[in-house]
Amino acid sequence: MNTIIFSGVAVRVAVDGSHTAKTLLQDVSFELTERRIGVIGANGSGKSTLLRLLNGLAEPSEGTVTVNGSSTVSEVRHVRSQVGFVFTDPLSQLVMPTGREDVELSLRRSVRNSRERAARAEAVLDRFGLLRLADQSIYELSGGERQLLALCAVLAVDPKVLVLDEPSTLLDLRNRELLRRTLAGLEQQIIMSTHDLELALDMDRVLVVDDGRIVFDGGAAEAVDRYRELCAAELEADSEGVHRP
Amino acid sequence: MRGHGFLIANYVRGNSVIHRTPLWLKFLLVAGCGTASFLIVDWLVSAAVLAVMCGLFLLTGAGAGRLWRAVWMVAPILIVIGLFQWWQLGGPTAARIVLNVLVCVVAASVLTATTPVQDLLDGVVSLARPFKRFGADPERFALTIAVMLRSIPFIAGAFSDVRDSARARGLERNPRALVLPVFITTVAYARQTGDALAARGLGEAGD
Repeated sequence: MNTIIFSGVAVRVAVDGSHTAKTLLQDVSFELTERRIGVIGANGSGKSTLLRLLNGLAEPSEGTVTVNGSSTVSEVRHVRSQVGFVFTDPLSQLVMPTGREDVELSLRRSVRNSRERAARAEAVLDRFGLLRLADQSIYELSGGERQLLALCAVLAVDPKVLVLDEPSTLLDLRNRELLRRTLAGLEQQIIMSTHDLELALDMDRVLVVDDGRIVFDGGAAEAVDRYRELCAAELEADSEGVHRP
Repeated sequence: MRGHGFLIANYVRGNSVIHRTPLWLKFLLVAGCGTASFLIVDWLVSAAVLAVMCGLFLLTGAGAGRLWRAVWMVAPILIVIGLFQWWQLGGPTAARIVLNVLVCVVAASVLTATTPVQDLLDGVVSLARPFKRFGADPERFALTIAVMLRSIPFIAGAFSDVRDSARARGLERNPRALVLPVFITTVAYARQTGDALAARGLGEAGD
């Protein structure tokens, strides 16, 4: 199994017109070895930043992130060959006009021979039941089909770790279930942020992120309870603020 | 975002003589049309070349509808260019310039309608290989073409969406309400595409 280590990580970004940097994440340290890891938290809490650190899409301002011993900053190329990343909106991710072309694009780096590349792409599309949609424009596909295609394009290069940033946010109930089943059948280590608490309950370990900090790290059921408490407390604080004269 | 019109026709499976023509010859055709657009000085010759290119496109079996859509997408720009050139240089020159641009658009459509994108990218990599000795990365050339093919229809679609939302708010005559959101959407799209490519390890040095 893979080992992902966050050690004293903080992420700060400059804000236009301000001398002080905005803190997106702070004091984050943990080691991930479980097969299914969930990340839950409110919008803007730092979930996406945390996930982007895993693939080198974001760099820590402090501390280090390593995947199987490789730094996500100095060995980013090697890390990206091991860590696949699925974005919330598949249209942000699918670069080519059709599914077949997009999967083949993923394979360009690893498979130089065009015939072999085409055969590999076809096999991957077939594995996910997407072969019949392979030559359709990505705009003609449903949200669920697009998300599966984005997943398929990432899995084509056989990453060891799969990072998914709120993959079910844009999906209806049926497609959400389809995605859930597909993910359950994958052998990769999965690290996924989600607002879907049912999906979070499938995880072996769940991190709760609030205001850039990990406020809970443990079993899925306790994590979901903790997140609900956190939301309830924030709602109460907000309503007190509204009603205060 | 809704489905987009395509400036350049997508690949259409087929077995026409154009489909079977070697890629280098199709590249040569496009390059030839590009060069001819600078050399042709008579609008009647431009019209004849355009007719030939349209004939070639129809030979591919991609259909007149796709050809019309490819041409329709550039029509607003060509109208502006044509009117300006007519005002500046007269009718025959304006007609020649507009027809020459159309020759290039149709030639590019013939290429893309009959060549799978991956074959096109492989072809670009082969063409760019000699530049490797100067430090250029052929795969990056191919990736640039891929991103360009994807970005043009995206921006066209973004413009349609923004125009609809401006119309819904009664701002269809306000150029700022049209241009600014398209500009912002395009920049956001460029960043997202960069992230998507980076996440997949594409376009990195040494690919």
